[in-house]
Amino acid sequence: MNGDASTIVGGEVILRAERLERRFGGLTAVSDFSFELRQGEILGLIGPNGAGKSTTFNLISGFIHPSDGRLFVMGRDVTGASATTISRMGLVRTFQHDSLLSEMSVVDNILVGASHRQRGHEKRLEKVREVAAMTGLADHLDMIAGNLPHGLQRMLSIAIALAAEPRILCLDEPLTGLQGAEVVAALELFERLRTAHGLTILLVEHNMRAVMRACDRLIVLNYGRLLAEGPPEAVSRNEAVIEAYLGRKR
Amino acid sequence: MQIRSPGVWACVALAVAAVLFALLATNPYHTSLVVWILTNAVLAAALRFVLQIGELNIATAAFFGVGAYTTAICAVLFGWPFWLTLLLAPLLAALLSALFGWVTLRTKGPYFLLVSFAFTEVARLIYTKINAIGGNSGLVGMFPPMAIDAHYPAFAAALLAAALFALYGVERSDLGRLFKAIKNNDAIPRSVGLNVVFLKVLCVVISSAAVGLAGGLHAYTNNVIAPSDFSYFVAILALAYVKIGGEGHPLGPVVGAAVLTLVGQRVAGISAWENIFYGAVIVVALLAFPGGLVGLAARSRGLVRRDAR
Repeated sequence: MNGDASTIVGGEVILRAERLERRFGGLTAVSDFSFELRQGEILGLIGPNGAGKSTTFNLISGFIHPSDGRLFVMGRDVTGASATTISRMGLVRTFQHDSLLSEMSVVDNILVGASHRQRGHEKRLEKVREVAAMTGLADHLDMIAGNLPHGLQRMLSIAIALAAEPRILCLDEPLTGLQGAEVVAALELFERLRTAHGLTILLVEHNMRAVMRACDRLIVLNYGRLLAEGPPEAVSRNEAVIEAYLGRKR
Repeated sequence: MQIRSPGVWACVALAVAAVLFALLATNPYHTSLVVWILTNAVLAAALRFVLQIGELNIATAAFFGVGAYTTAICAVLFGWPFWLTLLLAPLLAALLSALFGWVTLRTKGPYFLLVSFAFTEVARLIYTKINAIGGNSGLVGMFPPMAIDAHYPAFAAALLAAALFALYGVERSDLGRLFKAIKNNDAIPRSVGLNVVFLKVLCVVISSAAVGLAGGLHAYTNNVIAPSDFSYFVAILALAYVKIGGEGHPLGPVVGAAVLTLVGQRVAGISAWENIFYGAVIVVALLAFPGGLVGLAARSRGLVRRDAR
């Protein structure tokens, strides 16, 4: 089932998009977009605003369905499958906006994340404690999520996803608005998730320095199409990427 | 399932008191008033239960009717035993509401509200068109068995109180938390592998089972039922109970039902003004104390911090 195995980092292909296309009326948000995610890697998905990153995220997580193309998670064809199904298979995403249950407490947020995988209230609470410790939320469990400082809100959205015990974690701009030290802590968390918990991470992010540091490999979208792909250093030297992403070279 | 709230023993005491009152009071008007208040409380609590997922379920009235008609048909037309007719009321209401919810709860926005309204009125019209179940005049002659007839109000009060506690128990459980999550931001539960449509249907089914039971009990309390007892207006009154009592607290519907039912006894005579009276009460309550009576009492005792929204 898994096609070419040109491994750079990590092992087998666990997510494969084949010529994905999504049209909204006359607008084509994503077109002819193929990529692979390999077990154990941190893959960065970057591109200018409006390049189709969010659409891609919605497509692979089942929140919208492709107009054309196919999607495979762990070798299984999940084209057209619901968000619920894809999440249960182990691909869990976070959200750029409205990324938590703002009116509920931190505990309740993470409990909801653990609800499907864990059976019984005690097991769920155990999961909450484990995830809260990992994400630095242990001292804020009783706060209403909407009242948390911004940095902790970003962490909570990751904690909700982690409570669902993903194999593939898709993070939609998790570093937006974070301070320097918080960015460092978040990047350390991603690395720990990969090494200690065996997670595979797909990262959409605008913070270029962080992306360059965290990711093993980058794919660049522009106008809904794949523009470049490769290790961060190579992509950052790619003329087409520099022009599309950073503006024309001065 | 865990019921942990400072007021829970007070609620148990209140329920026991209501049942004892229905058991011991000698004036039949007073005992039936207790049952009537608790019936309204269940309707209001069931309406509020579905408000947890952010939907206003006018069909609360319809499933109250389904329960009442199920019991009445099985008792009067088929002559089935009392216990069976009471058991079938919540079961059929739950089953029908599952079908109803499965079709209607996939949409967002005001559609569910509108369809639940239409469903309620269609159900009422269907009762009026079927001569076998009495058409416009409904069914007569549902009586509890002799063994419990004398204490039927206490029996009904106990079951209605049990239904209230059941709804409260679910609300406080992990399942209740998922209902609130759906209302807050349904993308989050979907993203962590929860089936949001199934959960919404489950919420409506649990609520409908409670009002189905209340409907079945109502058939025996009243001995007579008619289609007009189950119009959308039943749900509007339930909404009034919820708003007057306070939507934010599980006791809100009970307090609202008690206050408005008692007040309703006073204004019942001036029939033309009755609806205007209820309308005015809702408007004044929403403007003057948006947290309802329970919210007002809690705030005056400094028990609540300001809600998030």
